[in-house]
Amino acid sequence: MIEEPYRWVEAIANRREYIETQLASGSPIAAVGYGDGILFLTLGRARQKIFEVYDRIAMGAIGHPGDIERLRMAAIELASTEGFTRSAGDVSLRRLAHYSLSPVMKNAFEQVYGAPFLARMLFAEVGAKPEEDLFLRVEYDGAIATNGATFAQARQDFAVLSGTGKSTELMESFLKTEHAPGAPFEAALKVALDAWSIGHMTLQKNDAKELPERAAVTKHREEQLAVAGIEAAILERDANTAIRYRALSDEEVRASIQQ
Amino acid sequence: MEPSPLALEQSFSGASEDFPALLRRKGLLSPAATVDPTGRAPSSREQSWKPTEATTILAFKFSGGVLVAGDRRAISGNTVVYDRADKVLEIDRHSIMAIAGVPATAWEMARVLEHSFQYFRRTQLQEMSVDGKVRALSKLLRDNFGFVMQGVGMVVPIFATYDFNSNPGPRLYFYDAMGAQFEVADYAATGSGSPAVRSILYYENNWGTKRLQKLGEDEAVTIALRALDTAAESDTATGGVDRSGKIYPLIKVVSREGITTLPERKIAAVFKQTVA
Repeated sequence: MIEEPYRWVEAIANRREYIETQLASGSPIAAVGYGDGILFLTLGRARQKIFEVYDRIAMGAIGHPGDIERLRMAAIELASTEGFTRSAGDVSLRRLAHYSLSPVMKNAFEQVYGAPFLARMLFAEVGAKPEEDLFLRVEYDGAIATNGATFAQARQDFAVLSGTGKSTELMESFLKTEHAPGAPFEAALKVALDAWSIGHMTLQKNDAKELPERAAVTKHREEQLAVAGIEAAILERDANTAIRYRALSDEEVRASIQQ
Repeated sequence: MEPSPLALEQSFSGASEDFPALLRRKGLLSPAATVDPTGRAPSSREQSWKPTEATTILAFKFSGGVLVAGDRRAISGNTVVYDRADKVLEIDRHSIMAIAGVPATAWEMARVLEHSFQYFRRTQLQEMSVDGKVRALSKLLRDNFGFVMQGVGMVVPIFATYDFNSNPGPRLYFYDAMGAQFEVADYAATGSGSPAVRSILYYENNWGTKRLQKLGEDEAVTIALRALDTAAESDTATGGVDRSGKIYPLIKVVSREGITTLPERKIAAVFKQTVA
């Protein structure tokens, strides 16, 4: 049936709708750059969602655990073999996402007889300076969104990942106004928590159009913090070791929130 | 970058494949050298080409963890190739591999080992156990044994690490060229200058002012410098301490907190006070 172009387009559209439905309940992940690095944060620890990929690269993902696992393994494998055969400095997130992951994901998505990847991923690579931090979101169809400046948008030092487009959009618009580049860690942590709360609230209401009230965000944040575990990791900018990734424990993050 | 990761093949399961095996499947690491049963190692007289070799290394436990030291000389036959060789290599935050033998092979092994540990942690989301790490090096040595039999590529390393598991503490191992690992309680030394070094460490441990494990950092550095200097006295392949060129051995310490490289001025100060 898919020999006919119209049927193919229809099949792709159905598949897109199916995947979007599957991803819609994924808890948001916020990644924000701060003076000394990049923070990844999410709440709810049903399973791990933030991972180390290579010395300066981390990823967060929502979707089917099996698919996330295969993509994560592929990313680690590519980065590790590159880092081994050349050097750690030659491993770049830009190449990893554009040349390796994106084509594979697009291919799987468009081969309508095969299974697509049920996953949406958020990557970040810490640079020597905050201006060199790179954020990338890779969609199930291989589409890539970056934090780079385009004619429609100034360069951002954050990126988010969520179950729905609306949730992603509201989180981004919140961070655009509230997140100051080069902020200290505690400020970045607060803004990331609020961004997560906004994303999470939006997922629960189907008709959300605008950013919720400040007080409602604070209330939601406190409620969720009381019941859910925090998962967070940082990529440190000036670490003395090659490996910049460090997972933060729940207690560590809560202690920083108190300050 | 490599366009087709193995992890995306249909048959892929997330179970851990070890990193050397992955590299070999991708053709990025030469296959294990096979031992020719009919062959024999050429004698040093027959062999006109002599590989570069790194010489004496030592390690012992002291009150602050494990001290690992190496002289800086690399030789080829009776030629000094390099006098600032680095034979004490950091593999991860808590592990050191020190090498005596052919650096071309040893540095490659260190690279493979370093990436193996990271690869395991990243893919399996847990740190490799100390036993696993010790075994990984053993396997690399075993894979290399064919080259050893051909008279090239002999590596005899020392491995020092910190074990956070059931019985936390520093661990120290030495290996033979075939890959047998030996855990030691107090000290280890390999390389051409090792007979002298072992004698000194044995003497100090039994009849010195204190047992090696009780030494403070400065005292431990003193013993390490004296041992390497003594080895250099009779073994031309060992650099010891170059007094005129002011080249000191490289000394690193593994402890619970990680690895510290002792700054050269500190080693120089201890040397001036207690050795020179």
